[in-house]
Amino acid sequence: MLKLGRYKRELSAALAYAVLLALVGLVAPSFFTTGNLRDLALNNAPLLLIATGMTLVILVGQIDISVGSQFAVVSVAAGVLAKGGLPVPLLLPSVLLLGAGLGAVNGFLVGRLGLPSIIVTLAMLVAWRDALRWTTEGAWVQDLPSGFQWLGLGQTAGQWSIVAVALGVLGVLGWALRNLSAGRAVYAVGSDREAARLAGIEPVPVVFCVFALMGALTGLAALLNAVRFSAIPSNTGLGLELKAVAAVVVGGTAIRGGRGTLGGTLVGAALLGTVGPALTFAGINPFWEKAVQGAIILAALGSDKLLGELESHVGPNAR
Amino acid sequence: MSDRMPAEAAVETEAPWRERLFPNGEWILLLVLVAECGLFSVTGNNFFTVANAMEVTRLGVEVGLLALAMTPIIITGGIDLSVGSMMGLAAVVLGSLWRDASMPMAAAVLVTLLIGLLGGALNALMIARLSFPPLIVTLGTYSLFRGAAEGLTRGIENYSGFSQEFLFLGQGYVGGAVPTQLFGLIAGVAFFAWWLHRSAHGRSLYAIGHSAEGARYAGIPVARRVGLLYVVSGALSGLAAVVYVAHLGQAKADAGTGFELMAITAVVLGGASIFGGRGTVMGSVLGLSAIVILQNGLRLSGAPAELAGILTGTLLVVTILLDRLSKGSGGQTRTDAEVGEGEVKNSQVVALSAVILAAALLVILGNYWSVRSLRQELRDTVGRQSLGGGGKPAEHKPVVAMMPKAKGDPYFISCRKGAEEAAREAGVELLWDGPTDLDPAKQNEVVEAWITRGVDVISVSVENEVAISTVLRKARQRGIRVVTWDADAQSDARDFFINQATPQGIGYTLVDEAARILGNKGEFAIITASLSAANQNEWIKHIKTRLAEKYPGLKLVAIQPSEGDRDRAFAETQTVLKVYPGVKLIMAIAAPAVPGAAEAVEQSGRKDVKVTGLSLPNMCKPYVHKGVVESIVLWNTLDLGYLTVYASRALATGDLSRGARKLRAGRLGEIEIQGDQVMLGAPFVFSRKNIDQFDF
Amino acid sequence: MLEASHIAKAYAGVQALRDASFELQAGEVHALVGENGAGKSTLVKIITGAVEADSGEVRLGGRVITHNSPRVARALGVAAIYQQPALFPDLTVAENIAIGLEQSVAWGVVDWPARRRRAAELLAQVGARIDPDRDAGDLSMPQQQLVEIARALGAVARVMILDEPTASLSEEDTQNLFGVIKRLRAQGVGMIYISHRLEELSVIADRVTVLRDGCTIDTRAMAAVSRKDLIELMVGRELSAVFPKKEVDAGEVVLELRRLGSRAAGVRDVSLEVRAGEIVGLAGLVGSGRTELAETVFGLAPADEGEVLLRGRPVRFASPARAIESGIAYVPEDRRRHGVVLEMAVSANVTLASLQRLSRFGALDLRRETEMTVDYVRRLGIKTPATFTPVATLSGGNQQKVALSRWLATKPSVLILDEPTQGVDVGAKAEIHALMVELAGQGAAILMISSEMPEILGMSDRIAVMRGGTIVGVLSRADATQPRILALALGDDHGQAGAGSKVGA
Repeated sequence: MLKLGRYKRELSAALAYAVLLALVGLVAPSFFTTGNLRDLALNNAPLLLIATGMTLVILVGQIDISVGSQFAVVSVAAGVLAKGGLPVPLLLPSVLLLGAGLGAVNGFLVGRLGLPSIIVTLAMLVAWRDALRWTTEGAWVQDLPSGFQWLGLGQTAGQWSIVAVALGVLGVLGWALRNLSAGRAVYAVGSDREAARLAGIEPVPVVFCVFALMGALTGLAALLNAVRFSAIPSNTGLGLELKAVAAVVVGGTAIRGGRGTLGGTLVGAALLGTVGPALTFAGINPFWEKAVQGAIILAALGSDKLLGELESHVGPNAR
Repeated sequence: MSDRMPAEAAVETEAPWRERLFPNGEWILLLVLVAECGLFSVTGNNFFTVANAMEVTRLGVEVGLLALAMTPIIITGGIDLSVGSMMGLAAVVLGSLWRDASMPMAAAVLVTLLIGLLGGALNALMIARLSFPPLIVTLGTYSLFRGAAEGLTRGIENYSGFSQEFLFLGQGYVGGAVPTQLFGLIAGVAFFAWWLHRSAHGRSLYAIGHSAEGARYAGIPVARRVGLLYVVSGALSGLAAVVYVAHLGQAKADAGTGFELMAITAVVLGGASIFGGRGTVMGSVLGLSAIVILQNGLRLSGAPAELAGILTGTLLVVTILLDRLSKGSGGQTRTDAEVGEGEVKNSQVVALSAVILAAALLVILGNYWSVRSLRQELRDTVGRQSLGGGGKPAEHKPVVAMMPKAKGDPYFISCRKGAEEAAREAGVELLWDGPTDLDPAKQNEVVEAWITRGVDVISVSVENEVAISTVLRKARQRGIRVVTWDADAQSDARDFFINQATPQGIGYTLVDEAARILGNKGEFAIITASLSAANQNEWIKHIKTRLAEKYPGLKLVAIQPSEGDRDRAFAETQTVLKVYPGVKLIMAIAAPAVPGAAEAVEQSGRKDVKVTGLSLPNMCKPYVHKGVVESIVLWNTLDLGYLTVYASRALATGDLSRGARKLRAGRLGEIEIQGDQVMLGAPFVFSRKNIDQFDF
Repeated sequence: MLEASHIAKAYAGVQALRDASFELQAGEVHALVGENGAGKSTLVKIITGAVEADSGEVRLGGRVITHNSPRVARALGVAAIYQQPALFPDLTVAENIAIGLEQSVAWGVVDWPARRRRAAELLAQVGARIDPDRDAGDLSMPQQQLVEIARALGAVARVMILDEPTASLSEEDTQNLFGVIKRLRAQGVGMIYISHRLEELSVIADRVTVLRDGCTIDTRAMAAVSRKDLIELMVGRELSAVFPKKEVDAGEVVLELRRLGSRAAGVRDVSLEVRAGEIVGLAGLVGSGRTELAETVFGLAPADEGEVLLRGRPVRFASPARAIESGIAYVPEDRRRHGVVLEMAVSANVTLASLQRLSRFGALDLRRETEMTVDYVRRLGIKTPATFTPVATLSGGNQQKVALSRWLATKPSVLILDEPTQGVDVGAKAEIHALMVELAGQGAAILMISSEMPEILGMSDRIAVMRGGTIVGVLSRADATQPRILALALGDDHGQAGAGSKVGA
């Protein structure tokens, strides 16, 4: 039996999204075509995957603002590997491995050595980005083998596959968070690290694995994004980390850890990803996009607080 | 008093001086600073001079103000990501008040500070009163403030032409040597040091950082104190904006981009704990110095700028690691529970990280140092040979320092190729540096470094006319020759301008192509770079003029930004095609935007839509052959770089001077000079017919 | 069954255990007593695997345990319930119980209904009426403790360690717990029972071991040792009186509460007077609103009815800062979170409430700060190596003394003490009591909230009893007896409760 009260934050985010959609529907009903919705899903699939990983990182009480740079590195690497002759089927495991490797560096520094994650990932953000720039000198990876785009599946199949993979991964991880001991361990460590240790759940491996998983998901996102095109720029993923954190937070996950769901993240990612195109459809000057996104984040916080107040006055524990 | 007292044990009242002076292990930073200075005085030209030191401090003032305000915020366990964006908002408010509302400068500055205060108050309200998490609130205002700045100026406005008195605040030297704004920073440092370390108010901040609840129970008004910090931060951001505008001579919505990360890095590098309760003003100052000196030193040593980022990242990690270890079992207060099994043996990790850092530095510096010494040797050898050969003095290779608008932009990368070709041919030592993305402030910094270094010629593709001209004039005063290429500065700030095509020429050519493709009537949309990109906005202006004059049947329905991101151009094009089904042509006027738009058109299956624009041949070839991209407008960027180097060299050797009509430029032959502009030629249209002939 | 021999352990230069030995048999309740800082917590941590000993060995069931860890200890059947409940605030009660019990195989799938059922069973066994689906963070502290006990029950431990388990339990819950303990004992579980409540031990413990300064002093049968003997062993010398009697010449009314109420705090219609030189004890069951009343007076909770009068003048405190200015001081119940700032130095803590007073033109007078700290260290006998030592490294009793110093430094006319000797060893307790008497003698008006009956009876001039957020009775020292207080606290008119019972904490 679902206790709705537990999910009030996710519900308020969903409500906000519904309101946004309603507004768009009023002003520009042409928004709601299969083609547009599919494109929206496609363009935001990488963000969704990364936000999924970010949810786990935040749940465990940490943060990872280096994902944008990891994304860029793996994108370029995927292209280079493909050009270098790596058979297409091997691309997927390679990027997962590479991404996990990058994530593992973070995991080692934060989990094993106990350094604060915001600093470590800030350093990695800058370091990876600059290392990539230095080696590529801004050049794009072009003349990719023909099997690279859409992984050889053709446009339509490729598109739906990407969306399916993103949603599928979200679904699987969502189930795992709820129903696997490993998933519960994430919540436990995020809720109270010391209590987890005393209960026999070693925080260090959990944190390490979460960062490695984040890296793998970023790698997957990079590949899924890269195969939509026939060339790979060397400066992708700028600002991705902040978008992902915003999606997670708008979706109701607490920044201090231990509380939140992937369902909320889905709503948050959808909400933030829809704003841009919605503005265009509504004919609003694109200048205001950043301001609107900022306002949404603040509104998410506000609604959360409002719900809390309401509960204390009206709900079962009201005084 | 009680019967339980043992013999009185004397209580220590004075902590060892090292603890008191460096409570967070800032001595490590001091070591790092000394190491940096030592290293760069050897590898960098003119690094260890008073003049350079002064320049370094000038650069550090704006971020320094932000870092000062950030220190107490981080000490109380908070964070403020919005300081850079606030600078942008304050800058445009200042510009607009002064220019559009014709307010006297002093009043405008006051109102600007007020705006900063109000922005900070917004943060304070949400964080202190409503208890929202600071990370998220300031993430929101980070977007909100920048978005407001862009919205208010529609991205375009760029205020400049400030009075000399005002500019002196940011560009002048007091007593001929000390940068004016330094005094402000010193005053700020003194005040903050007193506030945080000597005052009762400051002590309460540390208590709040350790335990806000505990502080409350001790009667400290937590919400009020914390709120004040964000208000102060906002006000200081406003002040930093004023200094920035005075420094650059321009006020634009993108002021302060990236400054928040630098400020936070400086404070954390300085030993403050991101969880609150620890941090010192001295630490933040040392941290900032470490970063600024690193960047400056690398630049003067001719090392690539990316190195600064990598090294800063490494430095950050190693510093907190070392700090954490030295606290390990010593001063760290682990309440009752001992630090558990996860703890690594201290000595092992210190050794490990020291080795990594040393190895990294060695590899990187040794690598290019050997190149440098090789070059030096070559020079000497050549010199010696000519000396032995006939008494002619050693041939001094002219040093030409060339700067693009953005190193990461493929357009400029191809210019570099041409430039390097010319450098090899003509015997020029070419320095190529600049900001990775569009950043006028960084451009100024780089030029300053080159002046200190004493190069022969500086050639710049100018991001912002007004800002760069001041510093270019300074260069000319010191006897350095200056040329501009691709985009011009003010005419008295440079000797020549290497012009590939005028913005008008570009705009008209684009529209003419569009008209040709659409048959003089129809709808089209523009995908531009960022809404505030100066070049693109120039072109758009001319496009609109041309449309009005000559093509009444053509209609421009939308202008969407791509932010220089291919994927974004892709998404925007998709949306445009859906919102404006009548659009038959996409004009993408940024290099990565054309392939992005083309991909979108192709995937949409809309065979009736074409793409044109301004881009590089290589990235568009596949789409041109597929027929999606009709044509792209450009010029030979390789030649542009090539010509610039030849012109620079000619200037340096005296072969080129005002009044000349022609210039010999290697394989380009004779190039025409009109007045003070060296003309490359007219814009070139690449299409299926000729695109394969080019490789850039 | 369990044997710890000659354990030594040092933390960061402090020798927590020197030569501690402890032996537990199956089916016994073995009490472990000692002052704070004697090493009880450390010994427990070594047994449960939370930390490793420097030397000595631990045997369980005859086998030596070489590398202990929480996992290993759990697997061997050792369970512990600490003073501060270690629950996951964001997880449900059912999950909290389950995590402590399940052998976490990383890829195991969770059986939610089974978890819920088990949790409900265990909670029923402990007699706790708590919904397993509630978030643990929403529970009150006593409720959390009950959950912990339920969890330990479920662990079917062979060795169960109870560290101050009744500290915040009501009388009813305590009796419940004792019942459970007896049942477990009959099943052959060995229990280590740590408590400062010496009177409890005579009811529940079979044997008792005394630790002092990291060494085991003696182990005796409970029946064969008197309270006086125990205290002597713990402290190392004779103590004349634990609760100094006092004479009172009550002066003027300093603090008067007239029908004070705060909806947010759950306090209503409280009327009370405290005179200069008087100690008023505030008794009541857990949840009766004593701390909430104190917080209302101190300005932490908003008062929306009635008034507070200070020396006859009505005052309104919107914040603790105002209250402090007017001469009211509040030493809170939760020492570690509210009483002191653990990471800050002793001197910083001592001056934290007096910063304004110590500064001139905003600048802090560091020399006066040091002088003041040294003064209080001497006066109160705070055991600390330096004024700049972080408070976290001090023992509980010394931390409490630091907290007291902070408030004494504000020179209050009204001192509200909330559980001033909770978790404090006997020696320090006596010192604190003597201090209270001294302050009263100097004219302070003291309101003392306590859940320890002997303390209430011994220290108060008058005793006010709270129930349901209001005062239901005030007894003078002469009239006050345990049964009478209990009757008022419980709300029945019988007035007779069993001997040895106590009003809950």
